[in-house]
Amino acid sequence: MKRPRLHLREAPLPGGQPLAFAIGLTIALFVGTLLLLGAGHDPVRIYSRMFEASLGSPDAWAVTLNRAVPLGLAGLAVAVAGSMGLWNIGAEGQIMAGAIAASWVARIGGDWPGLVLIVAMLLAALGGGGLLAVGPAIARARLGVNEIITTLMLNEVAIRLAQWLIHGPWKDPGAHNFPLAPMLPDQARLPTLFSRAHCGLLIAVAVIVISSLAVRYTAWGYELRIAGSSEATARYSGISLSRKILTVLVISGGIAGLAGGVELTGTADRLTESISNGFGFAGIIVAALALMRPSGVAVVALLFGAVQIGGQSIQTLGVSSSVSTILQAFVLFGAIGAGVFSRYRILLDGEARAVPEEVNQ
Amino acid sequence: MRSKIAALLAVCVGLGFALTGCGSDDKADTKAAFVYVGPVGDAGWTYAHDVGRQYAEEKTGVETAYVEAVPEGTADFANYVRDFIDQGFNVIIGTSFGYMDDMLALADEYPDVVFEHVSGYKMNDTNFGNTFGRMYEPRYLSGMVAGATTQSGLIGYVAAFPIPEVIRGINAFTLGVQAANPSAQVEVIWTSTWFDPAVEGDSAQAMLDKGADVIAMHQDSTAAGEKAEAAGARWVSYNSDMSAFAPNAFLTAPVWNWGPRYVEIIEAAKAGNYSPTSFWGSMADGTVDLAPIASDVDQSVVDMVMEAKAAIIAGDLHPFTGPLNDQDGNQVLGAGEVMDDGTMLGMMFFVEGVIGSTG
Repeated sequence: MKRPRLHLREAPLPGGQPLAFAIGLTIALFVGTLLLLGAGHDPVRIYSRMFEASLGSPDAWAVTLNRAVPLGLAGLAVAVAGSMGLWNIGAEGQIMAGAIAASWVARIGGDWPGLVLIVAMLLAALGGGGLLAVGPAIARARLGVNEIITTLMLNEVAIRLAQWLIHGPWKDPGAHNFPLAPMLPDQARLPTLFSRAHCGLLIAVAVIVISSLAVRYTAWGYELRIAGSSEATARYSGISLSRKILTVLVISGGIAGLAGGVELTGTADRLTESISNGFGFAGIIVAALALMRPSGVAVVALLFGAVQIGGQSIQTLGVSSSVSTILQAFVLFGAIGAGVFSRYRILLDGEARAVPEEVNQ
Repeated sequence: MRSKIAALLAVCVGLGFALTGCGSDDKADTKAAFVYVGPVGDAGWTYAHDVGRQYAEEKTGVETAYVEAVPEGTADFANYVRDFIDQGFNVIIGTSFGYMDDMLALADEYPDVVFEHVSGYKMNDTNFGNTFGRMYEPRYLSGMVAGATTQSGLIGYVAAFPIPEVIRGINAFTLGVQAANPSAQVEVIWTSTWFDPAVEGDSAQAMLDKGADVIAMHQDSTAAGEKAEAAGARWVSYNSDMSAFAPNAFLTAPVWNWGPRYVEIIEAAKAGNYSPTSFWGSMADGTVDLAPIASDVDQSVVDMVMEAKAAIIAGDLHPFTGPLNDQDGNQVLGAGEVMDDGTMLGMMFFVEGVIGSTG
């Protein structure tokens, strides 16, 4: 049986990504229309609400951008590991670990000045996420243990740790035995940029730009991509694979952890069990749709954020959460997936390849 | 000059229309939005709230809407609420504990909107109150049915989190069990989740394997009942009458009846005289109740339970009346003493006869 595979096209399709995007979006909206009609809704009303709520006003942009920040950082975390062919499925837990570490700093630094406290919290978040990735990184680098399994399992550990803290040692004594962590100090709140958009946007953009440049232009990034495309080549050219695996997975965990810190200081009042809110898993989709290129993550995260916010908003018009989720998936894969096909084509194994021996981009 | 005046007039008239239009649309109309933590199809907690919403819509004629499966402690809650308010909704009801602080902040931001929070304890002086119910009353009654039914003397209680609300329910249930069957014991198994059918089912199975022949629960799905049904055991459900999901196992259930309270809130908002309270509804006002008892339960048991129910409603019987000892045998209430609301609301200990730990 022949298996379909993606192969890089010699040249992108005419019209390139924008055209593919438009076609994909059109198809998605058409299929979505059928879904909405089937569920008894007015598609025009629903679609315009989706747009209004996500990109239709500065306030809407603020909400969308706040959503894109954790998605982008989580996507970047997965993509950085992905550049080397590693799968970090543990971003969800690393976000949690980052938020826990940042909360811990807020507990001991409750009277520090705002800037110092926020910077310390974010650094702690970076460290917390990285720390959760150390185990899988060592296991993979030294023992060859599959990092997909280990990172995935640690998600549960991080979430249980947060649960235990909130129900136990970190329970707010003023909360009548309710399982609530105490409120963060006021000065731990990230300042806003405009409307309700917080400064996490600047942090996310900076981290994404630096990572993209590092992966694309530095010797470190070059070695990373070599290692990702061929282990043998990497070894032959004297790259220490185990060391690369170690650093890349820990950096990946750190970036996810930072997302937890930004989410905590940007939108949350306190540490909660749901602060990671699925961003870590969504980050896998973001990274995959960005083809594991850190540079593509920002655009995908913005679109993903807009679709999520728009998709949530239509629930206030009576669309059920399941229909809304299906619709979000259509738009996402239609719009962004089409971009993939503008650069790649599907061939069955055994068919002649368009490019004889492709060089990893 | 004349054309300018005409233009000015036109603008005035237009403005007038616009303003009166706005007035009649946005001010006079009361619209109530509900934010749920689970899916309305859970047959449990969220389902019961949605039944209440539909009841309130029918009784008041006020337009209502809802969003479901909204996580606590994320930006989602405030996003949904702002969406609703943008669309002219001016009563917001949030039905999960974790929405509390968001609601407090939003109530401050939107002083013209009425906010009512179910299961929390915070409020303000103008537009934010809270609602809950004395679920321990029907819990006690359901315990009587369970105690009269068990043959093995072991009842499994599948429970979400060791917080006062859940612990209060377990204790009331256990006291009910003991009232009908002094030697029966209640063993608690924690799931650390409100809604996860797989975990709830596994936990119930663990208790059945241990010899429990009645399963009670503080969970939002029907999974525990399905396990009890398969094992030929009995089941006390929660939130709503779940007899359809396990017709042979189902004994009875302490249930919520939110409708009347929601009518009250919406009517007050409509009349412009809403004032925040800490409402703790009871069987007397109908906020909580006991579902019909299974037909194969002995009539003498039903009579005993109905007698207790009447006594609770009349104020003659309080489930937490001394003498009452905690799990370790320390006296909590002396003979004849009745527990005050404050102690009940912060309850973090098990009564004698409960197997398990509150930690």
